[in-house]
Amino acid sequence: MLHARLVGTLASAALLAGLTVPAFAQSGEVNVYSYREPGLIQPLLDVFTAETGIKTNVLYAGDGLLERVESEGEFSPVDVVLTVDIGNLTGAKDKGLSQPITTAAIERVPAELRDTDSDWVALSLRARVFYVSKDRVDATALTYEDIAKPEWKGRLCTRAGDHAYNIGLIASRIELWGLDKTREWLTAVRDNLAYPPTGGDREGPKNILAGTCDLSITNTYYMGVMLNNEAEPEQKDWANSARIIYPTSEDGDGTQVNAAGAFIAKYAPNVENANKLIEFLLSDEAQRLYADANYEFPAVPSVSPSELTLSWGQLVPSKVSLVEIAAHRAEAAALVDELQFNAGAQN
Amino acid sequence: MGLPILWLAAAAFTAGPGGGLAASMLPIALRDTGALMACVGLLAGVIGLVAAWLVTHHDFPGRAWFEWLLMLPLAIPTYLAAYCFTELLDFTGPAQTLLRTITGAATAKDYWFPQIRSFPGAVLVFSLVLYPYAYAACRAFFLMQSGTAHAAARTLGAGGWRTFLAITLPVSRPALVVGATLAMMEVVNDLGAVQYFGINSLTAIIYSTWINRSNFGGAAQLAVTIVLVIAVLILAERAARRAEARTGARESRGAARVGLTGGHAILATAACSGLLLVAFGLPIGQLLYLASRQLTVASVSMTTGPLLTTLGLALAGAIVTVTVGLFAAHRGRSRSVAARGAIRIATLGYAIPGTVLALGLLQPLGIADRWINGVTRWAFDWTPGLVLSGSVAALLYVYAIRFLAVSHSTLHEAMDRRGPSMLDAGRVLGSRGLDLFVRVDLPTLAPALAAAATLVFVEIIKELPATLLLRPLGVETLATLVYAKANTALFAEAALPALAIVLAGIVPVILATQLGARRKV
Repeated sequence: MLHARLVGTLASAALLAGLTVPAFAQSGEVNVYSYREPGLIQPLLDVFTAETGIKTNVLYAGDGLLERVESEGEFSPVDVVLTVDIGNLTGAKDKGLSQPITTAAIERVPAELRDTDSDWVALSLRARVFYVSKDRVDATALTYEDIAKPEWKGRLCTRAGDHAYNIGLIASRIELWGLDKTREWLTAVRDNLAYPPTGGDREGPKNILAGTCDLSITNTYYMGVMLNNEAEPEQKDWANSARIIYPTSEDGDGTQVNAAGAFIAKYAPNVENANKLIEFLLSDEAQRLYADANYEFPAVPSVSPSELTLSWGQLVPSKVSLVEIAAHRAEAAALVDELQFNAGAQN
Repeated sequence: MGLPILWLAAAAFTAGPGGGLAASMLPIALRDTGALMACVGLLAGVIGLVAAWLVTHHDFPGRAWFEWLLMLPLAIPTYLAAYCFTELLDFTGPAQTLLRTITGAATAKDYWFPQIRSFPGAVLVFSLVLYPYAYAACRAFFLMQSGTAHAAARTLGAGGWRTFLAITLPVSRPALVVGATLAMMEVVNDLGAVQYFGINSLTAIIYSTWINRSNFGGAAQLAVTIVLVIAVLILAERAARRAEARTGARESRGAARVGLTGGHAILATAACSGLLLVAFGLPIGQLLYLASRQLTVASVSMTTGPLLTTLGLALAGAIVTVTVGLFAAHRGRSRSVAARGAIRIATLGYAIPGTVLALGLLQPLGIADRWINGVTRWAFDWTPGLVLSGSVAALLYVYAIRFLAVSHSTLHEAMDRRGPSMLDAGRVLGSRGLDLFVRVDLPTLAPALAAAATLVFVEIIKELPATLLLRPLGVETLATLVYAKANTALFAEAALPALAIVLAGIVPVILATQLGARRKV
């Protein structure tokens, strides 16, 4: 009896396996690998499907999608990969995983926000800024150099140094200041940390509320996301304990900006639909969603950021380009390792 | 089975000398991982041992209930526990909010409260959900053990605690080592919780070497280091099991339970309920509260699809893994050194973090797929696509590798305990080969097979990192759903699927312990 049952369950298992291997290269579909959280992307894709009738299949993963595309090679089902950082966009091109985007809509984005061969395009921008305590910090303007000063000892906080967002910041400093000055700066910043880097970008404001941190290095849009978080209204308090300062550099350079973007996979089975999706994501409608639902800066300059985003002040972007940031990523990561940034303050 | 490990080993050796992260963070990673393992092994071991000793050697109100209830925390994945306890004990959680209301303090600098996101916090959280490994091992051991030594101690006038210290503790050392080792393996494997707590463990370092530095070779080198660490643990566990086989008496009556009365009974009941409340009640209560706050048709329908997928995957995975485990346990009885060595390598999969396992499989599976498609294109001018890396097959494969040790060790132990006499009897009666396997082997191993399948089932439901990376397009499990939500700090929305993970994991735990209890009589 036991093995009759075993055969039965094995058969149903085989059935299950058969059922979950769908055919992908059908017309009317586009397959998306997304580094971006479904919360933001799904509403956009739903609008896309409603307007074009093209169905979207999404695989979300915070990490490792590029590696997956690489190993799947020529039979990969993926058409479009959505990233949250410039590194994965240039990385995909370097590894030969992408193909040129052909939709004319890409022209809507300034040249410095897309690849010279059109292999990738930025869809939205975010600035890496300072969240400071409303109660315990008086300064209204700060430079990146300021947070390396002794007065910030035990008052800084941020997420892991090797997270793409912080790597982007450090890489931009290397381009701007050179490796030696950046090493000196990062060492001082490390030693000013209130506690070893933990959690995500929202931990900073939370700890500002708790009083365990006075200045957090966090992306801009989290302020809007937290202020409007109805699912977890506690986060409104976190956000309300802090205000945003757009940091500048002593030499007059502006605030570091990173991009979330997209590329079309080299072996995309639905190239046409992939281009339609990117065209849609660069439309005014989609760009407004990036601005209003996620409080990012649209990549299309004619679409303005949300009222809330504008209320935090005027963003003057750094002159360091996305490509230059990407070029220094490896050095930035090596610096984080060398200084053992993730172990927290050492002096 | 050994494919990902061999692949990683090859990658590690061809990668050349490791620089960067490997060189600078390895000492810290080894120190932190070692300390975390030691502390969790000790704390989870002690909790499990005392709990098992209480329920097997004593009688007190609620004992029969506690006997299986105490297994429940096993259904909570470590990453989920980390989230729950942080929500509860963090600055904005109810504990500190209450404290501030009472004291009138405004910020965390005005009063002292232990930081949950810290090394001691991690030890506590890990121990609370991993102690059932030690509990299960010790309880099974106590039930098998002859009660004579304890009876003798009592006859000589030794009290409960003295018997515990003089007899129970030394005698149960092997079972304790088995349980603690399993808990430590979970610690090494965990990624979600250590990342959340900001602990630079080996797994976390491997992950960032691969993800944030695109350094596959470096990650492979670290992965090989972790495999060596685990190999030591497995050797310790095997040695402990051998010792257990020596000290475990053949008579399987178990020690007579001593009835506790008055203060002692209250104390025992309080200890068990306190443990259960903290390790299971608090996180579950937290999830229930958050889930109820968000209970809508949308949140329920969002959860049902992944729930069915998860159950289907776990069932299929359990069948495959137990079948392979049975085969391995059989092979393992052969005298061939090569066969035993091969099985030891195969069962190392449990040691490797899911992320790294997925990493070691992605490339070879992709290559195999390209090869398959090349052949079919040549023969039939037709390509089936990603039959391995793009289908459920990849998941079942990785589950089999990852949890083979769980099913194998359960079956191996059952075979040891059964001894050769059953099979000999079958052979004497003329049964051979498949007939012997179906008519004698399977029926006598049925409880162990059920137990092994249950353990694997629960593990698959909880498994996150490998599923995340290897699942086919469109496949969403409960774990990946929770991860996606929690990752964007929307833990409240993750509460319902998280609850489903725990509930789906509880049912088999109850079934297994009930089954075990019935078998015993």
